[in-house]
Amino acid sequence: MTTATARQRDSLIEQPQPSQRRFQIRRIIIYALLLLGAAIVLIPFLWMISTSLKTEDQLFTRQIQLIPNPAVPMNYVRVWEQLQSINPNMTFWRILGNTLFITLLAMFGEILSASIVAYGFSRFNFRGRNLLFALMLATVMIPGIVTRVPGFLVWRQLGLLDTYDPLTWPSLFAWGPLYVFLLRQFFLSIPREIEEAAIMDGANVIQIYVYIMIPLIKPILLAIGVLAFQANWNNFQGPLLYLSTPEKFPLAVALRFFDQSLSKEAPQWHYMMAMATMMALPILIIYFLAQKQFLEGINVGAVKG
Amino acid sequence: MNLGVLGTYLPTLARYVAVMVGIAVIMLIAYRVQRFLGVKQEAATGRTLIMPWLIGFLIFNVFTIGSSLYLSFTEYNLFRAPEWVGFDNFSEIFDLQIAPLESAAQRSSDALPPRYDEVQRVTLGDGGFVIGARMEEFWRSLRLTLLYAVLTVPLGIVASLGVALLLNQKVRLLGFWRVLYYMPAILPSIATILLWRWIFSGSGLLNGLFAPFYRAAGIAAPSWLTNPDLVLIVFVVFSLWGVFGANSVILLAGLKGIPQELYEAADIDGADEWAKFRNVTLPMLSPSLFYNLVTSTIAALQVFEAAAFIDIPDSVGTFLNWLIYQEAFNFRNMGMASAMAWIMLLLILALTALVFRSSSAWVFYQGAKDAN
Repeated sequence: MTTATARQRDSLIEQPQPSQRRFQIRRIIIYALLLLGAAIVLIPFLWMISTSLKTEDQLFTRQIQLIPNPAVPMNYVRVWEQLQSINPNMTFWRILGNTLFITLLAMFGEILSASIVAYGFSRFNFRGRNLLFALMLATVMIPGIVTRVPGFLVWRQLGLLDTYDPLTWPSLFAWGPLYVFLLRQFFLSIPREIEEAAIMDGANVIQIYVYIMIPLIKPILLAIGVLAFQANWNNFQGPLLYLSTPEKFPLAVALRFFDQSLSKEAPQWHYMMAMATMMALPILIIYFLAQKQFLEGINVGAVKG
Repeated sequence: MNLGVLGTYLPTLARYVAVMVGIAVIMLIAYRVQRFLGVKQEAATGRTLIMPWLIGFLIFNVFTIGSSLYLSFTEYNLFRAPEWVGFDNFSEIFDLQIAPLESAAQRSSDALPPRYDEVQRVTLGDGGFVIGARMEEFWRSLRLTLLYAVLTVPLGIVASLGVALLLNQKVRLLGFWRVLYYMPAILPSIATILLWRWIFSGSGLLNGLFAPFYRAAGIAAPSWLTNPDLVLIVFVVFSLWGVFGANSVILLAGLKGIPQELYEAADIDGADEWAKFRNVTLPMLSPSLFYNLVTSTIAALQVFEAAAFIDIPDSVGTFLNWLIYQEAFNFRNMGMASAMAWIMLLLILALTALVFRSSSAWVFYQGAKDAN
């Protein structure tokens, strides 16, 4: 808004003063740099989509072709035919179903447990609360690989290797300290009077949580939902370790399977980029639809951290 | 869909629900027990609500970290019970040898005792020395991982600070730029690492774009992925592309939070742009920068996906996280892998402690002053 008025004022003055010329040059430099940044972001991304629409012959042309001619959207179908030639069960729907199954269960568990735990940490006084909260934040520093080996051994003992269990229900134990942290910040910003009125009316904790707190924290729950969906959809390390039957793979591991089995000697970049684009697409759609919540969720943690 | 497909989903779903119910029951019991013992309602409720995390913390953190420490003192290949070997794993890792080189041309393998391989070679004039180790992959990978962190963390922070300052210049369509710049960070890292592998490959986009320069300079197109001296660049570019926009959005929020009065006060004092940046922006932004520094340092030391998709030449090593994963799950050396993981854990703790220690010197908390 201030820019608009500033520009109006500029256009009213006929002869640009030296300081205004400097101001204009400055604007030009700023926008040139912003465009450069946009090119850095977009060119590789467009290259991915462009490659996914090329024939094998077009991959290695001398002239760089950003818009493929002819474009072959059939790559998106053929890549799955290729995968099924090794394992007939690796259909598109099966792999998508796996990915969604893991993602949604883990996401739901994270949101549910993180919001309950954050509620406990932000609203009730008890001895050891701050120590426990600090401990929880400290777990962020523990590299996943330290817990991977014993974790693997435990799942092996339970006979749950090559099932979706290790990837889904542990989320019910609030495995994402960051989400608890974000939610706690949000709870702290809600005035206590709101609950006190409900307590006077004789509501218990569960009622207050479900009927009063959940509606109030909806924006941040949505933000965390988006973050959690993205993190679980993109998760690679967990499924790589725990799943061994190819038809149980989610997209990320299926992509590696394709890379390792079909594309090792002569990389079939058009197919791999088609698969990569498919994997990125749902995330991009959610990102553009929910960008406000997404960026907010990140900023709550950063600014107040 | 037949039951064969559902057969892989339903059991997990059933156990998922069972665990959910189980947690609820435990919470209920915990609450009742506390009340029975005379704990005040508020404290009892609070402790009950954090139960899901507390149980998870005990199982997934305390227990596994303890087991990992135990395993690091054993030899264990899954087939026989873990065998206690004391500090053997650690002493094998830390078994380093320094051998002098008689001439700069001498091969490292001739200078080092048998079973030791070169980690680092230092030539000084016509001679020098070579450091060798029995676990040379570990040291090479440690070197690569640290080098990567030392390059990407400062570069990433400077780049994202630059973009954040740019976006803070009352630009039009701020929302559009923010959304655009953040985009690489939300893309699946699997997709982006493959994309960069493709761009950096021998006949990829990068060499295609630079072909005229190579011709003008009279050099052959470099093979970025297989040249030991160049491969790190691929990872640095991949990493910077992924984070500079994301971190700049975080820093931008910090910039927006700086009270305008501070700049007005600086104007009255006749401060120029640089003085304002140095004395207002940087101190006020330091908590955001600190957050950025901590998270990006921890992340840089834990690269995994990138290493899984790009085969790095042996002489450079690989990323520690991937090396440990291989040691554990490809070679089934659970004990050695745990020892390496523990060294990595201590390294991360030490570096984070260092950053936190240094923070009192440069991080400025506005609230902290008011409190005094």
